[in-house]
Amino acid sequence: MMGEKTVIVKMSKVEIVGPRHLLGETLSLVRQKGDLHIEPSTVGFVDDMHRREIHSLLPDEKALFEKIFLEELETKLINLFACLPAETIRDSFLAPRPIIETVSKTLDKHLVTCREFCEKRDKIQHDLLELSQYKTFLATVSTLLEKIQLTPDLDYIGLTLKNEKAVDVLKDNLDCLTEASCELLTVPTKDGTLVGLIAATKDISENIRLLLDQKQMPEVTFPESIQNLPFVSKVEYLQKQIQENEATLQAVDTKLMEFTHRWGPMYKAVLDWVREQLSIIQASVFSFETAMCFFIYGWMPTEKVASLSGSLQKNFAGSVVLEEIEIRTEDLDRIPVVLQNPQYFKPFENFTRLLPLPSYTSFDPTPFIGLFFPLFFGLILGDAGYGLVLFVLSVVMKRVAQKQRLFQDAIKILRICSLYAIMFGLLYGEFLGDFGHKMLGLKPLFIDRQKNIIPMLYFAMAIGLAHVTLGLAMGFVSALRRHTKKEALAKLINIVFIFLIVALIITFIGLFPELLTRPLIISIIVLCPLLLFSGGLLAPLELLKNIGNIISYARIMAIGLTSVLLANVANQLSGLTGDIFLGFIVGGIIHLIGIIIGVFSSSIHSLRLHYVEFFDKFIELGGRKYSPFSGNQKKGTDTDISHSSSEPHDKLYESPRKSS
Amino acid sequence: MDKILIAFAAALAIGLPAIATAWAQSKIGSAGAGSLAEKPELSGTIIILVAIPETMVILGFVVAVIILLGG
Repeated sequence: MMGEKTVIVKMSKVEIVGPRHLLGETLSLVRQKGDLHIEPSTVGFVDDMHRREIHSLLPDEKALFEKIFLEELETKLINLFACLPAETIRDSFLAPRPIIETVSKTLDKHLVTCREFCEKRDKIQHDLLELSQYKTFLATVSTLLEKIQLTPDLDYIGLTLKNEKAVDVLKDNLDCLTEASCELLTVPTKDGTLVGLIAATKDISENIRLLLDQKQMPEVTFPESIQNLPFVSKVEYLQKQIQENEATLQAVDTKLMEFTHRWGPMYKAVLDWVREQLSIIQASVFSFETAMCFFIYGWMPTEKVASLSGSLQKNFAGSVVLEEIEIRTEDLDRIPVVLQNPQYFKPFENFTRLLPLPSYTSFDPTPFIGLFFPLFFGLILGDAGYGLVLFVLSVVMKRVAQKQRLFQDAIKILRICSLYAIMFGLLYGEFLGDFGHKMLGLKPLFIDRQKNIIPMLYFAMAIGLAHVTLGLAMGFVSALRRHTKKEALAKLINIVFIFLIVALIITFIGLFPELLTRPLIISIIVLCPLLLFSGGLLAPLELLKNIGNIISYARIMAIGLTSVLLANVANQLSGLTGDIFLGFIVGGIIHLIGIIIGVFSSSIHSLRLHYVEFFDKFIELGGRKYSPFSGNQKKGTDTDISHSSSEPHDKLYESPRKSS
Repeated sequence: MDKILIAFAAALAIGLPAIATAWAQSKIGSAGAGSLAEKPELSGTIIILVAIPETMVILGFVVAVIILLGG
């Protein structure tokens, strides 16, 4: 969006000032630019001395009437579009403002016409829906009618049968009942059922109906109004009804389509204009005034300030001015937050969205997840075979992927993670567990994690030490940004303390000279009061939590070990079958389970290490969402109609490029 | 006898925290599911809350490994 840097976008605190009569035009321009997040309060913008002179802008009588008129017009237009077919509407070349009076008059007439069409269409659709239950029967029975000798002595009973078996049962029963003085004809339908027609003399037809009732084979019932007609007339009447209704529906649809093509562009332009005017009126409520001037306060990305300032200068010849105001410490919590990430990190924003927005002085968590999540995933799964399977899967899925953004992002993350899994698989010397070692002669380039459990444990903890320390260092920077020096000092002392404790443990293990023990212990004792001073009484607890967090990274080793052991079990079991084909199936199934468990547990634990162990150190959550005043904002406001309307309204939000 | 005791100690070291973690996660998970039904935006916080007790079993695992390999 704004370059390729990975930061929380730098924001400016701005004030727009101008003569009162230019407020509407100024808001229109600000809306058009779509960069200013309007602040509805003067807190932090106006000092106590001037607060009495500046007050909220109250709409006058004219503005209120205008608002009511526009809201009514908007409702009518929405109702009109609800009647029209879901057709893409082209852009109109008419300017709505000069014709608004005429439009408001013609709209009433058009609305009545369209509603009539709409009601007519609904009624026909309802009738057709009711008649649709006879459609299959009528289509099938018409072929039977030709086969039966039509005589006035015969009565016809129509019915639907489930299958051929039901036909046989019915035939047997009819033979017994009527001694073969009736005839049953059946024709299969498209849905697998059969349409049957029983032709019988009138004296036995009632008995047949009773039999059908007993056998739970219901007769096709015709509408009440045509009950007295002969069977053939009933069929013909219904067929005629369906044809007539379909023709009328088509005629109504054509008329509505013609109306949409003729009037739709103009009404769409008017609706867009009405919405713009309403949003400006709504935004003007958040403006402030003195006896002569208006003030708009807000926040916007610093790099956009010059552009808006230039536009104001150009449009109002210096009458309306944009000024940047100094951001003070107490403003920091109020600054809206915009996250900005390069293309590589975009898919990882889905993980960030699980958390609330970071505060302005904090950091965007996305790049950290983007860098460390695949790394931890690879460290835990660490199998070249599994990685290869996941890579192929991601490539295949990308080809069949729908346009769902989340799905596409998941595929991108899977691909990156699979590459890391391949890389660490080669470093660990693992390809489908020990299959690569036994069959392909693959050897670990870095460490064999099946045999070197303790070194792997140290390695995992070393990663934890680096990650947690990085988090604390970021927390130190974040605290400095917020000008909370004591908190910054506490973070710094925590880092020093952790390193001292780690050095002491290493000395006890024997990797560092024993001579260091005493200076290390003395340093820890000396730093204790400073720790309590900077972090308070809870500081030792915080320190213990940090050490616990580092130990928590042991899961990289623990879960990785279970993954490789499961892969080895798969290989051993497939070997035990003694048959290549069977072994392939058994091994394949267990490896598949291993891959599913591996992907799931690696993802969950990598995320957990970020959310619990890492972000806790430096990310201050609770940032304010940046909502600039723009044309797109309309969808989320009170006057949004998307919730109250049906499908056809979607077309109203299409971009002009699409519509043209 | 020593081997049996070592194995038993390692089993206890991982088994007890595993039971404790399972119990804690069951309680947090059910409460979290209830909260999510009302406020889906809390998903991040609930993942964190459910994940917190896992540290116990990881610590237990580390102790068990140390008992088995270092003991």
